[in-house]
Amino acid sequence: MKSVITCEINGEPRDALADGRDTLLELLRDRLGLTGTKEGCGNGNCGACTVLMNGEPVCACLVLAGEAHGAKITTIEGIARGNTLHPVQSALIAHGGTQCGFCTPGIVLSAVALLDRNPHPSPHEIRHAIAGNLCRCTGYDKIVEAIAAVAHGTNIDVKPAP
Amino acid sequence: MTSLHDTAPIAPMRVVGQRLPRVDAGERVTGRAIYPADLTRPGMITGLIKRSPHAHARIVKIDATKALALKGVIAVVTSADFPEIKPNTIIPFGETGADAWVSAVIVLARDRVLWRGQPVAAVAAVDAHVARAALDLIDVTYEPLPHVMSIAGAILAGAPLLSPDLKPKGFDTGTPIVRNAGSRTLIERGDTAAALQSSAVVGGVDAVIDTAHQGYIEPHACVAETDAGGFVTLWASSQGAFQTEIQTAVLLGLPQSKIKVIPLEIGGGFGGKITVHVEPIAARLAQISGRPVKIVMSREEMLTGGSGPAAAAQIDVRVGADAQGRITAIAGHYLLDTGGIPGTPTTLLMQASAACYQTPCLRLEGIDIMTNKPRTEAYRGPGGIQAAFAMEQAIDEVALKLNIDPLELRRRNAAVTGSLMPVGTPFPSIGLTTILDRVAAHACWRDPIAPGSLPRGRGLALGYWRGTSMTSAAHVTISGDGRPMVTMGSVDISGTRTTMAQVAAEEFGLSIGDVHVASGDTKSAGYSDAAAGSRVGRTMAAAVSEACRDALAQLTRRAAEKLQTTVANVTYASGVFRSGAAAPASISLADLMRATLTDGAIVGRGVSTKLPFGVEIGAHVADVEADPETGQVTVLRYTAFQDVGRALNPVAVEGQIEGSVVQGLGWALTEGFDYAADGRLRNASLLDYRMPTALDVPPIECVLIETPVPGVPYGLRGVGEMPIVPPAATIANALRRALGVRLTHMPMTPERVLAAIKGANFGKASG
Ligand code: FES
Ligand code: FES
Repeated sequence: MKSVITCEINGEPRDALADGRDTLLELLRDRLGLTGTKEGCGNGNCGACTVLMNGEPVCACLVLAGEAHGAKITTIEGIARGNTLHPVQSALIAHGGTQCGFCTPGIVLSAVALLDRNPHPSPHEIRHAIAGNLCRCTGYDKIVEAIAAVAHGTNIDVKPAP
Repeated sequence: MTSLHDTAPIAPMRVVGQRLPRVDAGERVTGRAIYPADLTRPGMITGLIKRSPHAHARIVKIDATKALALKGVIAVVTSADFPEIKPNTIIPFGETGADAWVSAVIVLARDRVLWRGQPVAAVAAVDAHVARAALDLIDVTYEPLPHVMSIAGAILAGAPLLSPDLKPKGFDTGTPIVRNAGSRTLIERGDTAAALQSSAVVGGVDAVIDTAHQGYIEPHACVAETDAGGFVTLWASSQGAFQTEIQTAVLLGLPQSKIKVIPLEIGGGFGGKITVHVEPIAARLAQISGRPVKIVMSREEMLTGGSGPAAAAQIDVRVGADAQGRITAIAGHYLLDTGGIPGTPTTLLMQASAACYQTPCLRLEGIDIMTNKPRTEAYRGPGGIQAAFAMEQAIDEVALKLNIDPLELRRRNAAVTGSLMPVGTPFPSIGLTTILDRVAAHACWRDPIAPGSLPRGRGLALGYWRGTSMTSAAHVTISGDGRPMVTMGSVDISGTRTTMAQVAAEEFGLSIGDVHVASGDTKSAGYSDAAAGSRVGRTMAAAVSEACRDALAQLTRRAAEKLQTTVANVTYASGVFRSGAAAPASISLADLMRATLTDGAIVGRGVSTKLPFGVEIGAHVADVEADPETGQVTVLRYTAFQDVGRALNPVAVEGQIEGSVVQGLGWALTEGFDYAADGRLRNASLLDYRMPTALDVPPIECVLIETPVPGVPYGLRGVGEMPIVPPAATIANALRRALGVRLTHMPMTPERVLAAIKGANFGKASG
């Protein structure tokens, strides 16, 4: 059974034909070509597929495409304003908070959601907010440092290339 | 006229050694980086793999009639669609070559399945929903065979023989053959048994280590496509594009020249993306269907037989010392779980575990043992953490028995430049004693442990990894505006584009923004071995700097012509050629290229082979807290000291160390495959196979020490593998100090910590 899903993605109205078994993740990646959102596990354990649904972070692999009908979705593709990066993105670059990059879109979304509701989180609150996002490369330090830098307004400029 | 930029002045350019962001980070934080699962090709269809539900069985029959009749199913393949590859089909692969038969069995079972989840067939269909339905319609008849799921079970007299035709290697006459052994390696010098007998003390640990997984977040994925002439193109997430090409060619029975592998971004590999898993299947489905085929593994498939985990092990170590704390003998017996196919190597890990210490007598015996688990594959310093878990605890036991500070004991026995390595040759330049001095002077060792209401302890362990060198190639062309464009034969798995941009910028005296570095595909770049064994940074730096110098030599000849002088009179610095002749003149690299682009291409070439090894050595210190009621272990503080030769880019180096340590802590405390008696994996999800989250680990403090390696550009050492070696032993040694018990079964889960405490109490009561 296929049906048309209408929703707002990154501020743009979108329609897509989805199979009744499709998840929001499949809708985004396979039907709409928004491949920035990643699949690491498909069952809610890794956080690579984190998107904002009506402002709240969710695992897109756990949401059925049909549930997204009428919702406002923000994906990694909607975080930068044109070519201007969000401070979280700039800080991750500057602090070495992305290595293989596969967890990075999910980390960015979790961090953006955290800072939206708590602009000055402690390191523990930061770790708590990204505890649902597994990263196998960084050991988390440089991710936490990057988010803390945004929260405290320090050192978020990408160091200019020499 | 001093800059490549037409307007901006040239920046200062010492770029090697600077803290620089990754050149490709922007793509990653915006979701624009492309991994194979993100790729769509016109007309593309979906491939899925059918896997064995048995741990050990004979395949009687595979019937795909019903699957092929399903609307939307386009092709089905089984082993019958591939040429049969015999054991010992050696293909070029790094230092030693590899057996393509191993890859073939991993990719698709023939006649017999040796583990649950081993592929038996594959289907291509219009979409994943149809493909999934088709998998259920492929009828496979099995005849189950007895299976064995542990080293301890496999070596028993009555255990099923997994490879009855195999003649185990390395068992000389008089050495009894161990059941289900693949091969045996012995490193021996001196009379170890006698030396242990006459030692003042002997520290011993018998350790058991469970299977773990590399845990890269990106599942295996690829896209394959053929053209009308039969040429295959593969978009891969692999640690080695050329290794993927060779394995796929051999498994398909195609000449290597008929396949091109295009490396895309890799979402982590850690050793698990060297052997092919899905690529030959996707390629065959593409050949049969004439359509591009994408295969993406699920996490469950990866954990249950779709990829090769890291080896379980059983390791017994004895370390003898005299009353002054000088080591008299080291004996180690290493049984490594190779899974369903023999051949997991034991040599490097045995050497690594004893390498940090000088000893007159040494006996290391390693044997790989077959079980009905997925074939083991490499995991970051393969076998190192398992071996160190036993060895570094045994060393700690010696320190306790002699009541010597564990750092002091290590100092008394530390390997130094020129002392004998386990293989019997002298150590090249190493800085272990410097590392130990730095530990001694650091607050993490000097300061007392912060007090707490629960038992706390501090642990120390050393780590060693030799790494490899193998071969790397790069070439550099100069674009029409004078900027160097570097193409590497290696994939970028750890920030190689950034570090090589630093190298090229340094060689040309330019800013990092003025050079471009990319990984080439296998038809546009020179052969390079896989990104594994802590080798790419060092060997690619050698290749890139050679290629840059070659290009500069060609450019200098051209500049001499333009400046109407001899080559000997031309000097180059920071983007400008100058003539030192009677009438001084100069021309910028940019102007030179603009003026001479059509005179012919500048192509600089660099190949590095057989670079000296850049051995990695480090020391880790941890403070832990353990709850005797629950067995819960909390790591309070962690400091990693490492000799990196020279840090090309300290951000990248720290990132490697921090990530590596946290992987080590994961295996140390929570990560272990839990197999049921029927061979089923009970924790086949990332919920139950518990990797560390940001809340589970403390900040990792890195202390970098720089003892350059002679004969290697910039004196680089390997970096990424060593730091996974000490963490488990470091934690175990800290727990010994906190709780008074030895944790010898890894991961050291709360249940095992509690059992150890109970065992110790029971021992006291009955003693
Ligand atoms: S893919 Fe959704 S949580 Fe892992
Ligand atoms: S950067 Fe690789 S998983 Fe986080």
